[in-house]
Amino acid sequence: MKTAHPAGPESGPPGLSTPSAAPTLQERGRALRQACRQVFGIPDYDRYLAHQAEHHPGEPLLSRREFYAQSIERKYGKGGPRCC
Amino acid sequence: MLVWPVVAIVGAFAFAALALGRGEHVSAVWLVTAALSVYFIAYRFYSKYIAERVLQLDDARPTPAVRHNDGMDYVPTNKWVLYGHHFAAIAGAGPLVGPVLAAQMGFLPGTLWILAGVVVAGAVQDFIVLFASVRRDGKSLGEMIKMELGPVPGSLALVGVLAIMIIILAVLSLVVVKALTSSPWGLFTIAATIPIALFMGVYMRLIRPGRVGEASAIGVVLLLASLYFGRAVAADPNWGPIFTLSGTQLAWALILYGAIAASLPVWLMLAPRDYLSTFLKIGTVIALAIGIYVVAPPLAMPAVTRFIDGTGPVFSGALFPFLFITIACGAVSGFHALISSGTTPKMIERESHMRFIGFGGMLAESFVAVMALTAACVLDPGIYFAMNAPAAVIGTTAANAAQVISSWGFTITPDMITQTAQDIGENSILSRAGGAPTLAVGMAQILAQALGGKSVEAFWYHFAILFEALFILTAVDAGTRVGRFMIQDMLGHVYRPLGNTEFLPANVLGTVLCVGLWGYFLYQGVVDPLGGINTLWQLFGVGNQMLAGIALLLCTSVLVKMKRERYVWVTLVPTAWLLVTTLTAGIQKLFHPDPRIGFLSLARKFSDAAAQGNLLAPAKSIEEMQRVAFNNYLDAVVCGAFVLLVIAMCFFAAKICLQALRQARPTAQEIPPMASAHGAPA
Repeated sequence: MKTAHPAGPESGPPGLSTPSAAPTLQERGRALRQACRQVFGIPDYDRYLAHQAEHHPGEPLLSRREFYAQSIERKYGKGGPRCC
Repeated sequence: MLVWPVVAIVGAFAFAALALGRGEHVSAVWLVTAALSVYFIAYRFYSKYIAERVLQLDDARPTPAVRHNDGMDYVPTNKWVLYGHHFAAIAGAGPLVGPVLAAQMGFLPGTLWILAGVVVAGAVQDFIVLFASVRRDGKSLGEMIKMELGPVPGSLALVGVLAIMIIILAVLSLVVVKALTSSPWGLFTIAATIPIALFMGVYMRLIRPGRVGEASAIGVVLLLASLYFGRAVAADPNWGPIFTLSGTQLAWALILYGAIAASLPVWLMLAPRDYLSTFLKIGTVIALAIGIYVVAPPLAMPAVTRFIDGTGPVFSGALFPFLFITIACGAVSGFHALISSGTTPKMIERESHMRFIGFGGMLAESFVAVMALTAACVLDPGIYFAMNAPAAVIGTTAANAAQVISSWGFTITPDMITQTAQDIGENSILSRAGGAPTLAVGMAQILAQALGGKSVEAFWYHFAILFEALFILTAVDAGTRVGRFMIQDMLGHVYRPLGNTEFLPANVLGTVLCVGLWGYFLYQGVVDPLGGINTLWQLFGVGNQMLAGIALLLCTSVLVKMKRERYVWVTLVPTAWLLVTTLTAGIQKLFHPDPRIGFLSLARKFSDAAAQGNLLAPAKSIEEMQRVAFNNYLDAVVCGAFVLLVIAMCFFAAKICLQALRQARPTAQEIPPMASAHGAPA
């Protein structure tokens, strides 16, 4: 099975990965928070955990602190072009 | 669909209100509405044409985000979310400054160029560069030029990008210097962002790791507190003078800041400050849009002023070509080609989303430019010119300025000038060119009418200054780092250890060189007899538009290499227009006989006078005269280099296109459509 197809489970709106039931208020809140994080480019530890659980189960996980440190370094380490 | 005729009618009505309302004040709402109608129609029809016919976007082709999905950098992202992310990345100080400067020619020329430019050039460039990058696994602009045009053009483009970046850093810093000179309230709030960012950095790293939301909420509260207490600090007999700095003092402070900030770990200051500035940026843009519709202020600036003839006090040079390089971002910005080939292509979920994100994202930036122009044009024109004309023209007292400006036909009294300064909590508003203060006064007047009234205008003014300075300082920090890496990369070709980014002395050398380069141009701008912005902003405009020209040349070559030459006019028309305007502007900046326009004639004027022992104001010694002459020769060299660079790129692109035309098959180096998933689980 090709998980990388565009219609794969990760391509839906964030946080709605369980297609069985209508989203609860809590799930909607989580989706909104995730969307905000992505808009502002904030590292999303929850998304990382979900991704690892789905694609690389059993592999060692970064702690929240390590994940944050690595994400910030990757995003800003080379400065990144900033617009005028 | 019935909605499109309705949009067209609303747009036509708005333009009619603008066109027929001569002689009386037109409401700014018409201007903004006309712009929105143009955006919706261009998006609905032109971007659809480009997406379906020209680029033939194909959702069956996996994007880099899908192929490499790693949960970190490559993440297929919801299209609305990515739109916000992309907009936050492309929107900077550019669309806020250029339109404010161009307002000296009236509101109409700037508006028409912003609207025509974005539809024909800017949005097309952003969209097609994004497309090219997605089809090449998220490669950067430089890498794509190397792939499609060859290694020599690739290296040339990188040198050009570095040069433009140096000029951008200098001119953005100059905007901050102009806004904060002798403004203790402003300087205190900006200075306070440094400890606030440091605190947030420590909080997110050590106290509550990764809790960006909490830290940002605390940061915003602290920022607002510093804004509130800034007034008391400025009025304090002991603290006030400490935060009252001259232009040259501020220039040195910024140079020092740039060197230190770019050497700190990124988590300590750059990242937290970037979050703060992004929140403020998006919040303020939305607030300004609502404010314009709620207040519906009349446009006080005439539709067209007599300064289209090139004699304007804010910048010299006639409407053609200088309007088209003064307003860069908002109409078309070469720098966007770097963002559209940066993080955004790694997050595109489906190819069809690129239309909304690439083309639509640029329309939003253009809307910011229209709002900035609006904010400048709702100001009384007399106030606008008092704030933007250099001291050499209007003098240093309110009485003198009022007399000179009234003689231009914009009636104003000294009382109005001092009253405006008082309303915004500043000592003086005279000669604060650079866009930020003018925009801040315009925004303060609009937002205060919407919320809080006259008594809070001073807070809104300093809020607007804070909002602009915050993301300019973030850009200075991030840009210095990028510049350092590029310089080290180049030095590494000369002497290998200098290219090692893990080698501290090489890092220090790279940082010092980068800061030294932009710092030199900044300092020169601060002491420039014509006010600095007049020189540097146009140099930046020429550079930025030339980068756009280079990006569009790449897009043109890509289309030809894909054998889509029948659609090549989509990129060829804006390329031609950019080349005509920027080459004309570049050559005029070099050789124009008027010393207010041509670098060489100004240099000659000062060196000739120095040779005869005559002093020309504002220089106070023969050495200063010689320095002005030298600086202008240097500007001429930079400008000449931009002109030669773009001519060379034209040549390379033409050669590649002719080669591709002779081929029967597509020769563009795209990832094949059915490339298998990389690293996908079995």
